[in-house]
Amino acid sequence: MSNPPKPALECRDVTVKFGDVTALSDVAVSFAPGQIHAVVGQNGAGKTTFARVAAGLVQPTAGAVDVMGEEIRTGHVNQSRAAGVELVHQSFALPPSFTVAETMEFGATGKGGVYSRRGLSEKWRSHLASLDVQVDLNTRIRDLPIETQQGIEIARALVMDARVLILDEPTAVLSPTGIDMLFARVRRLKERGVTVILILHKIREVLGIADTVTVLRGGRKVEGPLPIAEVSAERLANLIVGDAIAKTLDRHERDALVGTKSPVGEGAGHPETAHGPSVLSMKSVSTRPDSEGTALDGVDLDIRPGEIVGIAGVEGNGQKTLVRAISALADLASGSIRLAGHDVTGEPLGARRAIGLRIIPFERNVEGLSLTSSLWQNWSARELLQGSLLRVIRPATVREACDRSLREWSVHYHNSAQKAGSLSGGNAQKVILAREVDRGARLIIAAQPTRGLDIGATAFVWQALRQARDRGVAILLISSDLDELFDISDRVVVMLSGRVNGEFRAPFDIASVGAAMTDAAARKSA
Amino acid sequence: MNEIIIAILRSGTPLIYVTLAGVIAQRAGVWNLGLEGLMIIGACATIVGIMLTNSILAAILIAVFICVLASVLLWFVIDRLKANPIIAGLGLTGLGVGGTALAVQSIFGSQASVTAPFGLPKLGPAFGAYGVLSISVAAMPFVVFGMWVLLRRTRFGLRLAACGEHPFAARSVGANPSRMRLVALSIGGVLCAIGGAELAAGSLQFFAQGMTAGRGFMAFAAVIFGASHPVGATFAALFFAVVGALGIRAQLMFGDKIPHDLLQALPYLATVFGVWLSGKLRGGAKAASSFAELKDQ
Amino acid sequence: MKDNLIAVVRSLIFVGLALILCALVFQFAGYNALTMLWAVADGAFLRSGAIEQSLRWALPLFITAVGVGISFRAGFFNIGAQGQFYVGAICAAFAAEAFKGGPAFLVIPALLISGMLGGALWALWPGLLRLRSGTDEVITTLMGNFMAGLLLVYVTSGPLKDPSGSGQQASSRPLDAAYRISDSLGLSPTIIAIAVAVGVLMWLLVNRTAFGVLASLAGRNGTMVEWQGARLWKLGLSSFLISGALAGLAGTIEFMGPNGRIASGFLPAHGFTAILIALVANLSVVGTAAAAVFFGGLASAALYLPIMAGLPAAAIDIINAAIALFITARSKLVDKVLRLGGRPS
Repeated sequence: MSNPPKPALECRDVTVKFGDVTALSDVAVSFAPGQIHAVVGQNGAGKTTFARVAAGLVQPTAGAVDVMGEEIRTGHVNQSRAAGVELVHQSFALPPSFTVAETMEFGATGKGGVYSRRGLSEKWRSHLASLDVQVDLNTRIRDLPIETQQGIEIARALVMDARVLILDEPTAVLSPTGIDMLFARVRRLKERGVTVILILHKIREVLGIADTVTVLRGGRKVEGPLPIAEVSAERLANLIVGDAIAKTLDRHERDALVGTKSPVGEGAGHPETAHGPSVLSMKSVSTRPDSEGTALDGVDLDIRPGEIVGIAGVEGNGQKTLVRAISALADLASGSIRLAGHDVTGEPLGARRAIGLRIIPFERNVEGLSLTSSLWQNWSARELLQGSLLRVIRPATVREACDRSLREWSVHYHNSAQKAGSLSGGNAQKVILAREVDRGARLIIAAQPTRGLDIGATAFVWQALRQARDRGVAILLISSDLDELFDISDRVVVMLSGRVNGEFRAPFDIASVGAAMTDAAARKSA
Repeated sequence: MNEIIIAILRSGTPLIYVTLAGVIAQRAGVWNLGLEGLMIIGACATIVGIMLTNSILAAILIAVFICVLASVLLWFVIDRLKANPIIAGLGLTGLGVGGTALAVQSIFGSQASVTAPFGLPKLGPAFGAYGVLSISVAAMPFVVFGMWVLLRRTRFGLRLAACGEHPFAARSVGANPSRMRLVALSIGGVLCAIGGAELAAGSLQFFAQGMTAGRGFMAFAAVIFGASHPVGATFAALFFAVVGALGIRAQLMFGDKIPHDLLQALPYLATVFGVWLSGKLRGGAKAASSFAELKDQ
Repeated sequence: MKDNLIAVVRSLIFVGLALILCALVFQFAGYNALTMLWAVADGAFLRSGAIEQSLRWALPLFITAVGVGISFRAGFFNIGAQGQFYVGAICAAFAAEAFKGGPAFLVIPALLISGMLGGALWALWPGLLRLRSGTDEVITTLMGNFMAGLLLVYVTSGPLKDPSGSGQQASSRPLDAAYRISDSLGLSPTIIAIAVAVGVLMWLLVNRTAFGVLASLAGRNGTMVEWQGARLWKLGLSSFLISGALAGLAGTIEFMGPNGRIASGFLPAHGFTAILIALVANLSVVGTAAAAVFFGGLASAALYLPIMAGLPAAAIDIINAAIALFITARSKLVDKVLRLGGRPS
């Protein structure tokens, strides 16, 4: 009895290789039961792979996993679940057409049998209530706001008697208020005796919730689990970034990259460069409702040359529609859009691009690049569309121009005939930058331009946007990362339910921006 | 009136069985264009089975066995070899149509149709005018109901749907999408065998080359039209059967005034209409799949 | 280049796998598989005169397959080549009635153009349905094939019926000899010239125009091209129409060349074979030419088998179907082997 309690989850020298890529390398870590453990690291550090190994979704190349002192068969979800390990995914793994009750039932194990709709609702109502998830059990997942979806995903993970709950970057999609609510929920789980492993990448969140912290970098464990009382924000930041890169970043930027402290960011603070008539001018723009997202409702937005305007908001509040409206990919119900002095309200995207609209879209791998096409084809698409479709081209000439441009943007690649899908996320984003950030750009929409990128690539993208801004380009930056927005925006506009719900200038105050973001989000889930 | 209903049930029942096979495959995420081939294999195997074994039960078991085997082949090619389901399905269809022609010729030495001495048992005089229908027509509503329960009211059905809609979600609760697809296609194989048996040995008692004449594809269209819901797709298949029966009716009534070849095209036209409508209702659903993956590794 | 080579080798491996499956089916059906495959090879390429016969079949197949490749490249599963082939031939047959008596140098091009328009028309409605309403083109083009088949039965036994025809198969009145572009052997300079012209033009379109690059991008990822400001329906519909027109042209060539008339249900496997050719060739125009010769050989063997070897022609359908089953497959094992053999150091 005097022995220390067996660890809730222990990984012994776990290595994971995907083809030639090593995602995890000899990671050995053990987590004590009944505590909240944070696992941190930058993108690409191996956090998600680690979580999936524990959940049985990824078969490690080498190494073993113990739960409560018992070794489990790795690579089998059912084995991990039987041992009490459950994983909540970053972008939730819920079939969108399922109702809440169906989602619970489909995740359950044990006796199933034939159910009735009402029986199913009865069966799961109390479970959801016990976790403070207030929702109609017959609502479909796709109709739920993102915070509720997360609640559902957590409840789904807890349908069985979970002893270890892993949450993969649960805060990435939440507003500051949503994060507070999540953390409250996590603390209640801890009281119930559940061991919680939180995968995070903001230091202030780690310090705010965790009992211990483990740092991963480049697929290796750097340190941990360290009791939270023994680490400082400063030390954590350096552990995450690594000494080599830390030296190349200025302190201010590093802090924004790892979310060291509460972002009170002074902002980029270049309002004086923004002058002249607006490049983008939207007047009470509303869009027709469609299946792609929240419709815009009377949005007014002006961006002047040499200004970065950040759009803050919880995912799904019209940011996507805003980008689509400016790009002529959503139908306007009313209002007008002017671009660089031209009324483009009824103009197609091709015409808008000809005036100088450039887009770094949300979905890099879907909207931004054709992964199975060659680099030169991806790179040349914009220019090829600027003339007759039947005009003759010489691929060799296009490829030379592409090579020049990609080298200028320091893309690492072999040759321009290689598939875009063979590049890393950061390099892929640079190809998009090479295509979209050209001399003809007047307005650049950068939608989540750093999502999934590691610290070096993120800093590169920020640098590119700043340089474009300094040349007088107007930039619209959409991001769910407040540190990013506060660090490089001159102005921040908050969107809520398709409306503009506040506008802020530097120095930004996280409390008031957060309040503008969540105002109705709280109402929605109630 | 009875005649029309009998005609609809006769042409509709094989279609409905095959449609259900398409529904279960679709829900598991497989576009099964091999239905046509599976159906003709089922039809041929039933007739040949009757001739060889003189037993209807043995004949159907043979048909089920071969259809399941063919479905497993399709699963292997699609799931294990990552072949494009549409092309592979068309290949299976070609294999079925060509293979049955070859089999009939090699066994009976003629290319013409093969007539069996008897077919599926009939309902009998107790059912009045409907007594001429086979037992599989009577079983059909129960099978539809059973499929509805299985797909819409069990955890198995939920997991199957998840495999089609969000395979990662299915995987993360411990379901194995690959295995689920195997199960779905195998069940589909059984249903196609019954559908083919009903086509060849229900009201008729013979097999002719190419006798399915696109019914398998029509069943596939019914799956799309019916939003891969077992009951919805059943009604879609029934709708195609009604249109077909009305065409034949119109032919009898108008004789030569309307060319009968064009009337025969009605079910195909109805299918196009159905698919168009279902796309319309669901707001221009995205089409099957792109060729992107097909050309590259 | 290396990628192309790997693609070719992979195609060959899966064709080989398909042939093994066929051998099993033949053996199972009571034939000697080796005899059968040997007879196929003999009928396709080895016996004297086989090459000419294979080319006769290869040329129209090539034209249709290039068209299929264009729509596949642009991301559309136009599997309606058969119907477009029929409707092209039907339109040309009607045009032949209308222009009867005109000078050959005008009528021949007019018929070819009518055939292309007919084929394009039969691709137009599925194209519009797909691009305007999102109706899946797989089913519409498939149904189009059945409808075109019935239309062919109707015109050959109705408006264009040859009253002197006696056989079981209804057929149209024969085309005036003056307008024929080949004798019944079907290999003439005119047909070769048309095929070469189609090949060169389509190669240029695919490899040397903005359309070619953008259509290929759109086929792999339509969303991305849309975000670049392209009008997808323009790219999509033109590829649909080109593929329909080429299938219609092939139908017209069969009508004006070797057949000299249209008959109900003639060449029922043409469209499907063309799809296979396009896929085996990995959609490249040059590869399509090579694959067309191979499948042309199989088509000519289909005629040879029953007469010379006493084997059923269905054997060829089975070979084609088995190739379809495997041709899009990609096995990790095969890829691994190919990579190891061909990795640059």
